Amino acid sequence: MAASVFIGAWVAAGLTLFMFSFLYKDNPFFRFGEHLYVGISMGYIIVRIHYDVMMKSLYSPVIREGKWWLLIPAILGLLVLARFIPKVSWLSRISFAVIVGFGSGVAIPRIISSNILQQVQGTLKPILNSGQRPFGMTQFNSLLILVGVVTVLVYFFFSIEHKGPIQICARIGIYFLMVNFGAGFGYTVMARMSLLIGRFDDLILFASREYAYASLILLVLVTLGLILWERGRRRAETPRP
Amino acid sequence: MKGLASRILRLDRRAIFILIALATLLPLLHPIGFPIRISPEVKQVHDYIESLPAGSVFLLSLDFDPASKPELYPMAVALLNHAFKRDLRVIGMTLWVTGTGMAEKVVSGVASQYGKRQGIDYTFLGYSPGGSNVIINMGQDLTAAFPTDHYGERTADTPVLRGVRSLRQVNYVVSLAAGTPGVESWYVYGKEKYGFELGGGVTAVIAPGLYPFLDTGQINGLIGGLRGAAEYEILIGLKGKGVAGMDAQSATHFVIIALILLCNFLYFLAPKTTVRSFDGAQDRPGSPQGIGR
Repeated sequence: MAASVFIGAWVAAGLTLFMFSFLYKDNPFFRFGEHLYVGISMGYIIVRIHYDVMMKSLYSPVIREGKWWLLIPAILGLLVLARFIPKVSWLSRISFAVIVGFGSGVAIPRIISSNILQQVQGTLKPILNSGQRPFGMTQFNSLLILVGVVTVLVYFFFSIEHKGPIQICARIGIYFLMVNFGAGFGYTVMARMSLLIGRFDDLILFASREYAYASLILLVLVTLGLILWERGRRRAETPRP
Repeated sequence: MKGLASRILRLDRRAIFILIALATLLPLLHPIGFPIRISPEVKQVHDYIESLPAGSVFLLSLDFDPASKPELYPMAVALLNHAFKRDLRVIGMTLWVTGTGMAEKVVSGVASQYGKRQGIDYTFLGYSPGGSNVIINMGQDLTAAFPTDHYGERTADTPVLRGVRSLRQVNYVVSLAAGTPGVESWYVYGKEKYGFELGGGVTAVIAPGLYPFLDTGQINGLIGGLRGAAEYEILIGLKGKGVAGMDAQSATHFVIIALILLCNFLYFLAPKTTVRSFDGAQDRPGSPQGIGR
């Protein structure tokens, strides 16, 4: 096994345990891991931006291929930094105007088409089609979507008082919303558990002989560290006679 | 009985952490082998790749970072295995700068298992800035969006990209996404305009929001969370991290459901128990106040 893989396994196992130590309480191990994560993430982003953006998309095309027009977006990008200099901070507005103008122009028609028109089209499916059974699951699903959309829209219709049939409709809409929230929460729980499984999976792997029992040794060390830290903290908090 | 219910409701929340940890750990150490049913939305992605003739262009956009690795990495491995098995021309890329290294590792790693050569059978384009705008750029001119690939070779001269001038020549795109830019960006800015077929693989958190787009055919299939990855692994006959995690997932879900039912039952037995305001709640670890720190 390569030394980098071995060291990487120890670092990964240690940092995972540091982060899990928060389940006990906020502690120096957790804070160390947290700060390290922020720092390393930022360092990694800077390095990647340097190579993938500054070198690959700007320096090489301009210097080697003579694509001088790429300097225009580069200057616009630099103008954003003018915000930090009060005297010329107004220059950054030029860049933001381009970003907002271009962004809106590109996004609005596409989002209206994809997220509104096509969704409306999908909702307005015929409940009964010729040649199909009148009471199949397809018809039931179409009816369910229709009732769900209408009742939820009624719930969010605040111009008239929710009384009588409107109240019943709005109430049914709430039930549809609750089902949606429940499904969303269920999926969220599933996602979080998947992350936990992923970390445990790695910890189990790093607890093997091949990795010199990294997870087990580090678990003992972190636990001992937490005990010592807790004892020290309590001693410091005890009022002296 | 009321006293016992009240005491259980006031139990330190760290007891729940231990229960969840055990429910996760034990099935990972001793797999049970719960059956895994294949959902139609996962099968649709599989069937579409299966229907592509050898040499078709398959673009896999790995739009996630290491934080979502447990869910999306097994999906990437399964999809790449399937694509290389089918002898498709594979193009890997990412719209997330923090996922670049990991994405390159999985693409080149799976390719090497099949003896595929970089630049000839597959390529990894890497990261290009601009988020959704990269998709528009690729739709117009792929070589302009990525003048060179991740390894510094000119994309215009790369054999695997021969005949692929834009996204119009790509037969199937799958975005494995943990957020934005991701699947939504690919159909809003890519599929509608450039007419390629699109599938999605997403974390479980964002999967429910994509079902309406599956229903309207804006995406032709959806792989959701670790469960989706496990289903795909079953479909291609390659049991990996997805299948391995399913027993633990089922066990933790069972524990959570049991705890919800138990706590509701106990709450009705002892309705006056103030669960969140027990003695010293503000200072105690794991308390709602403590979590926010």
